Amino acid sequence: MQDLPSVLIAGVLLGGIYGLVALGLNLIFGVVRTVNFAQGELVMLSMYGTYWLYTRLGLNPYLAVPPIAVALFLLGLLLQRFVLQPLQDEPMMQIFATFGLLMLLQNLVLGVTGGVSMGIDWPAARQVLLIAGVRVSLVRVVALAALTAITIGLHLFLRDTMPGKAVRAVIQDKLAARAMGINVERAYLLTFGVGAALAGVAGALLTPIFTLSPAIGGNFILAAFAVVVLGGLGSVWGAYLGGLIVGIVETFAGYYIDPALRQAIWFLIFIAVLIVRPSGLLGQVGAEEVGFREQH
Amino acid sequence: MPVSRRRTIALASAAIAAASLGRRRAHAAEPIRIGAINPYTGAMALYGGELTNGYELAADRANAAGGVLGRQIELLRGDAANPQQGISTVEQLAGKVDVFVGTYLSAVANSASDAALRYNRIYWDTNALAQNLTDRGLPNFIRSGPDAAAFARGSADTVTGLVGPSLHKEPANLTVWIEHEDSIYGTSIAATQKTLLESAGIKVLGIGAHSAASIDLTDSVLRAKRSNPDVWLNTGYVPDGNLLLRTAREQGFSPAATVFVGTGDTPETLNAVGAQSLEGMLVVSYPRPDVAAAFGPGAHEYLEAYRAKYHHEPVAPQGMAAYVGLQMLLEAITAAGGTDMQKVRDAAAKMDRPLHSYATGFGVKFDEHFQNTRAAPTTIQWQGGVPVTVFPKLAAQPDTTLKPLARG
Repeated sequence: MQDLPSVLIAGVLLGGIYGLVALGLNLIFGVVRTVNFAQGELVMLSMYGTYWLYTRLGLNPYLAVPPIAVALFLLGLLLQRFVLQPLQDEPMMQIFATFGLLMLLQNLVLGVTGGVSMGIDWPAARQVLLIAGVRVSLVRVVALAALTAITIGLHLFLRDTMPGKAVRAVIQDKLAARAMGINVERAYLLTFGVGAALAGVAGALLTPIFTLSPAIGGNFILAAFAVVVLGGLGSVWGAYLGGLIVGIVETFAGYYIDPALRQAIWFLIFIAVLIVRPSGLLGQVGAEEVGFREQH
Repeated sequence: MPVSRRRTIALASAAIAAASLGRRRAHAAEPIRIGAINPYTGAMALYGGELTNGYELAADRANAAGGVLGRQIELLRGDAANPQQGISTVEQLAGKVDVFVGTYLSAVANSASDAALRYNRIYWDTNALAQNLTDRGLPNFIRSGPDAAAFARGSADTVTGLVGPSLHKEPANLTVWIEHEDSIYGTSIAATQKTLLESAGIKVLGIGAHSAASIDLTDSVLRAKRSNPDVWLNTGYVPDGNLLLRTAREQGFSPAATVFVGTGDTPETLNAVGAQSLEGMLVVSYPRPDVAAAFGPGAHEYLEAYRAKYHHEPVAPQGMAAYVGLQMLLEAITAAGGTDMQKVRDAAAKMDRPLHSYATGFGVKFDEHFQNTRAAPTTIQWQGGVPVTVFPKLAAQPDTTLKPLARG
């Protein structure tokens, strides 16, 4: 059991990565009520953007967060306005459209990079902190800290600001929100933009950790979907909690049972949660019907 | 008039004879067309293009020497990134080419060679590793390069012949942790490594499997670290290999020797992990152009030709194995007097050239499954950000010295 602290911390930090990727996905899921299959590709795009800024302009990956987030926010607005909004009354078509976006973005990057794996050897990424005798990677700690800060910020935004309240109203009932004078389309635009920007933040923060390939988004997205469903659809803290649970369970299963079974274990938990509480641990009851319930 | 008629007939006969000769000459000049099956689009395209660079250089070399059987060599590209495309691209090319050559993707090689058999075409495999490709006993399938078992042997030989002596440890005192990605590729190599190492008296402390698409490998590294091995032996792909190395650095896991198999010797790893963290690490992979001339005659010429034609350094060592593979195919076609499937197979069965006959250090002698038994990988060590061939001893340049094995 001497490795227990190391395994626990590794699990928490992995949860931070999952939570970071799942946050934007959950927001879009909860508000726009569409499954954005291209969310992983938005993370991938921002990773390549960060890589490009680092290798061409020498920009520190953490300083790349603001420009990348703004760029992804604008891209999110465009995608919502010109791809998803025209399909607003056809939820299944929206899902197919996001899948099409996934293929488009993946192949676009493939065409540009020629499939070469890329990575940056950023000196800060080599920094290791010693916490109670446990070696901890600085960049992973930063990712978890960023997730915590963003989750708190998003929570306050949704609770205390008018646009945030409008978004919450749309989450609860789109029709009633529209009757109250809320511009639902604008709330969708804002949400998709913020969701994409969160993918941008995640991508920039994760670039120093991973080797980039056009298909890397797919490596994140399966776990991110599980995190979203586990934590609670449309719940900001659900993504945080779900990320930590998946990260910790996966690492414990990998270390104490078998690395080959790490995903199988948390999928079992995932299925159990779906059976016992389909809306997820912190999700609003009924939210699991997103995308399938008739929306007006 | 009779004279004139005779002259006319004679002229007509001469014209017919000349035309006939011309046709024969035109037929003789018809190039030998080779379908090069590789992924040229998609995520796998980088290495597909690199293999075909090797084929092109071998074809250029043969054409400059007057061709094969008096015919020029012409390559036609067939794009295949998955088994279905392997079949369709063979079907598209079958009417245009005399023989097929390809690829490093075992699943594609499997389906493409099967499809080529339906057209009675040889499928000459230069770079796929899966064991079952030759075990199928397909009458058109011949593999000129090393298979997965050869890579497992190469890595086991590196541990017993290089790492053990360098650490001044007898096999009985040497311990190894085997790590691998969990597809059939990594799993089969790991199983063979375990058998070979244990039969050499080396203690295998454990085997760890991980997904090549893993987001986190801390648990894998901690398991290996807990067992405290002398040698950390890993078979995988570039992204998971890079993540393992980064995680090992974070976790302070630096065993006496780290040996990677198949990947880890290219700029994709150097740029991601950094020269300092790679320093001393060994990688078992395809022979590189820096091998000594006595080991791989023509390797330097390959490098010069590559630079002259493509204006950059080789992307990966796989290209030189493809280059040598096509050379062997052309030799088999020459011996067979053509591209007939059975004749090429018979000619290949008789090929017998000792080790160190080609740029990669390969020789050629096919076993009953048409697997080249004289093809093996070599081992490099990262030294100051440069992959330097260090093993087998004959492959290393005379002035090469082995640096400390513990990773920087």
